[in-house]
Amino acid sequence: MIYFDNAATTKVVKEALEVANLYFTERFFNPSALYHGGLEVKNDLNAARRVILSGLGAEGKVYFTSGGTEADNLAFFGSKKKKNSTVIISAGEHAAVYQSAQVLKDRGFEVKTAPVDGAGRVIEEEFEKMLGEDVSFVSVMHVSNESGAVNDINKLAFLTKRANPKAIFHSDGVQAGGKIGVRLSKNIDLYSLSAHKIGAPKGTGALFAAKNIHLSPVVVGGGQEEGVRSSTENTAGIMAFAKAFTLTQNSLKESLASVTEIRDFLFEKLSSFDDIKLISDAACSPYILAFASGSLRGEVLQHALERRDIIVGTGSACSSNKATRRVPEALGLSGKYLEGVVRLSFSRFNSMEEAKIFIQTFTEVYKELKNYVG
Amino acid sequence: MSVEYNCILIRFGEIFLKGNNRKYFEDLLINNIKAALKPLKYTFLRSQGRYFVEDFENADEVTERLKKVFGLHSVSPALKVKTDKETLFEAAVKMSPMSGKFRVTVKRADKRLPFTSAEMAGNIGGALLRASGGRLKVDLFDYDFDLNVDIRDNGYSYLFYDKIPCAGGLPVGCSGSGMLLLSGGIDSPVAGWLMAKRGVRLHAVHFHSFPYTGEPALQKVKDLAEKLSHYTGQVNLHVVPFTEIQYAIHEKCPASFMITIMRRFMMRIAEKIARKKECGALITGESLGQVASQTMQSMNVTNSVVGLPVFRPVVAFDKEEIIDIAQKIDTFEISIRPYEDCCTVFLPKNPVIRPRISEAEEYERALDIDSLIEKAVENTEEIVITPDSRI
Repeated sequence: MIYFDNAATTKVVKEALEVANLYFTERFFNPSALYHGGLEVKNDLNAARRVILSGLGAEGKVYFTSGGTEADNLAFFGSKKKKNSTVIISAGEHAAVYQSAQVLKDRGFEVKTAPVDGAGRVIEEEFEKMLGEDVSFVSVMHVSNESGAVNDINKLAFLTKRANPKAIFHSDGVQAGGKIGVRLSKNIDLYSLSAHKIGAPKGTGALFAAKNIHLSPVVVGGGQEEGVRSSTENTAGIMAFAKAFTLTQNSLKESLASVTEIRDFLFEKLSSFDDIKLISDAACSPYILAFASGSLRGEVLQHALERRDIIVGTGSACSSNKATRRVPEALGLSGKYLEGVVRLSFSRFNSMEEAKIFIQTFTEVYKELKNYVG
Repeated sequence: MSVEYNCILIRFGEIFLKGNNRKYFEDLLINNIKAALKPLKYTFLRSQGRYFVEDFENADEVTERLKKVFGLHSVSPALKVKTDKETLFEAAVKMSPMSGKFRVTVKRADKRLPFTSAEMAGNIGGALLRASGGRLKVDLFDYDFDLNVDIRDNGYSYLFYDKIPCAGGLPVGCSGSGMLLLSGGIDSPVAGWLMAKRGVRLHAVHFHSFPYTGEPALQKVKDLAEKLSHYTGQVNLHVVPFTEIQYAIHEKCPASFMITIMRRFMMRIAEKIARKKECGALITGESLGQVASQTMQSMNVTNSVVGLPVFRPVVAFDKEEIIDIAQKIDTFEISIRPYEDCCTVFLPKNPVIRPRISEAEEYERALDIDSLIEKAVENTEEIVITPDSRI
């Protein structure tokens, strides 16, 4: 099987699994317990926090959550915002952010959407025009899950703070953390991460909060995570996350080089299809290559490739599903291209060999299916 | 007033009318009841005109399952006691709230007993009045609760409040088997349910256009069949690979006739499998005028390729009426899952609305109909779906 859907989720790497196992079976103690085993696990969790912090190059706190979505929710609902003030998100946000913003809208906030260009990058001049003293919260994703577009979040955060130093800047870093180099500036207040996108198990995420940011809990209970996120810590998931994060940090350069080679190769090959629009561009994260067919639905290509043992992602599950069209529409796609989105996403475990098999198979499949269109 | 019901009393409906065939109908109904209760622990009893389920663990679960058995009129969770005055009084007191307005309705199947129904109702009412210390009042018309006492000729009486309506209709199987064309949309499961209500055992046929429709679309159809099976018992789902036929039509026939000819193939294949499986009819979810392929002329053209009767129970229903039933039988949420259930890639912009049989036949001459159908039927996969089956 060729697995090109690594932005959806990844296989758990052996090292992370081993760590998880250790915390499932030997160091299984409750980190809130007052005996030695518990204290030891608590210390381990704190070490995991330091791993994440150093990977982000930032000072502050790390709260572990059940995943990227919960981290986004905590950022939106746990942070202090002036009543009825303005919230800005980008048009390319993941549903976890978009839906959170919709809830704020229902609660009386004004939600503004910063437009993106054809690759999914926030248009900085437009963004800057939207800023003002009324803006209390901004959320712009670091790397687009749909296209791989990389936003210069440090710059956007700087602009935000310049317009209103009290505004909070959040970024969803789920497709960035552990994949590309991340160095958070002081202007970034909140940053969401997910474990299962980088070779750790599903069910763990984290929210980074800068030093001066106070968060109210969304999940209350026993007061774990300094009261910000109650629930007995998912120790095995967290420790496996830290392990996977360390591994990806250590191999970042090699990973980037290898996926970039794959991306560039496929980018060039796909450019020659006359009814395929490449959504991702060379400035995007090399882990993601999105394109849209003007004649075949993404879902059909996905199924046809699946039969040839190649797994890819789609942008849009179905023409009738409006929710999945939000971002493709924001990217300026229209007509048949809207339904024709295919997303290839790579990991450091993919090879050029696979890329070559992919393009050969894809070309065959595409040609075959196109016979029946029109 | 808190009482553990120890019995569920079952009333059946229309099969009373069936004279000499009554034994056949009842045997079928009892089989269906037993099939519906299969994974549960219970005892089934029958007496003149009533069935009883006893020795169960959870009355609600039994009731929920019985509510879906076609041929049943209503059920009542009841307290079963020996027919004996003192015992009856005691049970009545145990079951009743001790304040408010009430009445007692007694039915006496055992005519040997030395009292009339009205006398017994009066006696039980008296017992309740005494027990409540004046807080209960009798009111035969404007009452808060009506305590029913059913005195049967097996020496037992059944006390209950509620008559929970069941699905009605006829026992599934008494009208033979039918082949339902199950698309994954809202209408076809409702059509299947309606025919099952009239005693039809269901087979279903689904046309799968991989890669144009994927595994989630197929799963959706399996889930729909599973929901139906709670009412109908086992559903045999026949999954027909359809892509090759679509390719052939696409290649050789005019685009405006794509859907018409596709549907003619679906009907032919459905009939072929139906005959193999001894089904006496085809069932579709067509509703007159809903889409271009469901005009009278279209139905005529698709109908003309089959010999079996085609039942279209929702033909005169509005969409809202169909949705109401879909919600009632719990298929709606599955039907609206956003997966393609027909190959939209082949949908022409302007499908013909009033096709003629002669035109369809003319265009089909370009196709090797028999061998296309033969191959599709040969590669059809049959999946047996039952309630509680993991699919």
